[in-house]
Amino acid sequence: MTRKLITPTRRTLLKGGAAAALSAPFINHAWAQDVTYDGEVFDAGGATLNIGEWGGGWEEFVRAALVDQFEEDFNCTVNWDSSFPWFPKFVTQGPQDPVFDICNWNLPNLTQTKQAGDYFLTTDEVRENVPNAANCWEFAFASGTGITWAYMPYVYAYRTDIEGGPVDSFRAFWEERFAGKRGTYGTENGLMHAFFMATAREFGEDQYDMQAAFAALEEAMPMKVSEFTFNMLSLIERGEVDIAVHIEGEALSLQRKGVPMDVWLWDSRPILTQTKTISRYADPMQKRLAFALMNRTLSPEFLNAFGDEFLWRPTNSEARITQVLAEAGVENTPEAVEAFWVPDWDFFVENKLEITDRLNRIFGL
Amino acid sequence: MTERAIPWPMMALAVVGFAYMLLPIFVVVLAGLTAGEFLTFPPEGLSLRWVAAFLQSEKYLSAFFFSFRLALMTMVVATILGTAAALFLARSDVVGKAALRAFFLSPVVLPGVVVGFALFAFFIYSGMGLSRTIWGLWIGHILYSTPYVIGTVGAALAAYDDSLEEAARSLGASPWRAFRKVTLPNISQGIQAGSIFAFIVSFGQFEVSLFLSAPNAEPLPIAMYNSLRYQFDPSAAAAGIFAITLVIASVLLTNRLVNIRRLLERQQGQ
Repeated sequence: MTRKLITPTRRTLLKGGAAAALSAPFINHAWAQDVTYDGEVFDAGGATLNIGEWGGGWEEFVRAALVDQFEEDFNCTVNWDSSFPWFPKFVTQGPQDPVFDICNWNLPNLTQTKQAGDYFLTTDEVRENVPNAANCWEFAFASGTGITWAYMPYVYAYRTDIEGGPVDSFRAFWEERFAGKRGTYGTENGLMHAFFMATAREFGEDQYDMQAAFAALEEAMPMKVSEFTFNMLSLIERGEVDIAVHIEGEALSLQRKGVPMDVWLWDSRPILTQTKTISRYADPMQKRLAFALMNRTLSPEFLNAFGDEFLWRPTNSEARITQVLAEAGVENTPEAVEAFWVPDWDFFVENKLEITDRLNRIFGL
Repeated sequence: MTERAIPWPMMALAVVGFAYMLLPIFVVVLAGLTAGEFLTFPPEGLSLRWVAAFLQSEKYLSAFFFSFRLALMTMVVATILGTAAALFLARSDVVGKAALRAFFLSPVVLPGVVVGFALFAFFIYSGMGLSRTIWGLWIGHILYSTPYVIGTVGAALAAYDDSLEEAARSLGASPWRAFRKVTLPNISQGIQAGSIFAFIVSFGQFEVSLFLSAPNAEPLPIAMYNSLRYQFDPSAAAAGIFAITLVIASVLLTNRLVNIRRLLERQQGQ
């Protein structure tokens, strides 16, 4: 759905006033839909912006590289909440009273929330008010809501000190040499969701072929099931896992520490994404600040710094690929990003209960 | 006085039980002292680098001291409420006392996530402005910690002979004076134990905090969880060392204070 955003005029003000008289509780929300942003710095008068974002080292870096300066420039305070999960918080508080003004997501959780109600501005509505979005690759808008600002291709992370040579195909995960030393994730982890969809695509007709995926994953058992990607890295480092589902940057961070391992990008090229949404019914000032923060997030300056720190790739075509990835031949060009695709998370969420139940049985959980 | 012999199977079970309880502490301490990059056990060499990283982390330190303050505030309120509730349950003849006791203890029986989410939903519904605030989090911690005080004070009251207070009353003491001078000293061990429990439960509370914690005010368990989620470096275990140290110190300090008080009482009595 595309909605034309308008700047308030005298006529719309009068109309708004009349509407407010009839519908007082929604006065702020009616206004909020008409907020626009052109990329300029403005004085927010000490307003507070509520954001949902990851914590830990991620928070420390993003605060230092982005948020601290943002607060100073826009005269605002950022309320940072890292107590995931976001979905129950959004749903409990309802769309009209959003728990966060701007929120960072993995797509499966975002899709689940998006399906639950009218929580977020559409991609088109955000694009019109975020100038830096004009330079983003098309897959940055695949979610239909919010904008994806960084991504990583899914990979196999594997030890190179084992027999059999480098991994060179998606089905290598099932090779006998990796028996008992395969690693994947619990059923609530987005990497497991993506692995499931990619497995369906590889062994079945397409990403929707669930039965083919179940059968293939049963074949791969026993697997070591981890909850977090960094925990998986420790299993690889210790040799408890020889091949694991992973994401490019984090896996390469282990290689940089001298562990004999390498990564292989899945040839179907699905990607893990970081996507920010803006709440439809945020108050006007908060919504304007959210646009501004989204714009800063998509700026090449921040994306370059973020890529250098965490090895994520930028979705902004004007940003550069960090040195480590560039040396490995990674580029940020139309040809280089052409093959990337985002799994159909709407399908996954609609079938999540069945998939989760079956995978838990396969994992013996 | 000769010591009673303990049957060796009981002794063996006791040793296994202690080892079982102490093993996680042992693992956390060693994992926090690893020289390696990840939170693993056994550690890859010993080093203080992650302890230093914890001490230099603004995020961890603020979370640690926030949890400390929160646990102290929780302990004070939970001790007062829990003691009052235990006295009420022990001394009143209200109909349905057993059901009331079960009701008071229900926060402990329910999964913490359920309690946390229920409070979160209630705060939003009530519109009191408590959702995702420090005060809302405090209420959640009090709710979850108070049953421990009720339990320990209730046990102390069960072992307490009510006739002592009745004797004080018959000798002219007012109800408040009889309670303060006779009952309170006799159940003080239970109150102290309950308050320590309340402090420890609040300090280590994760599930309730998951839904109730306020922006920019992260309790230590949430900060540790986030660290494990996004870094998995051993600084979380190093934080655990400080948490364990704090809990042990608080227990030892309380014991020490109790002993000093007893010593003073004895000296006054001589």
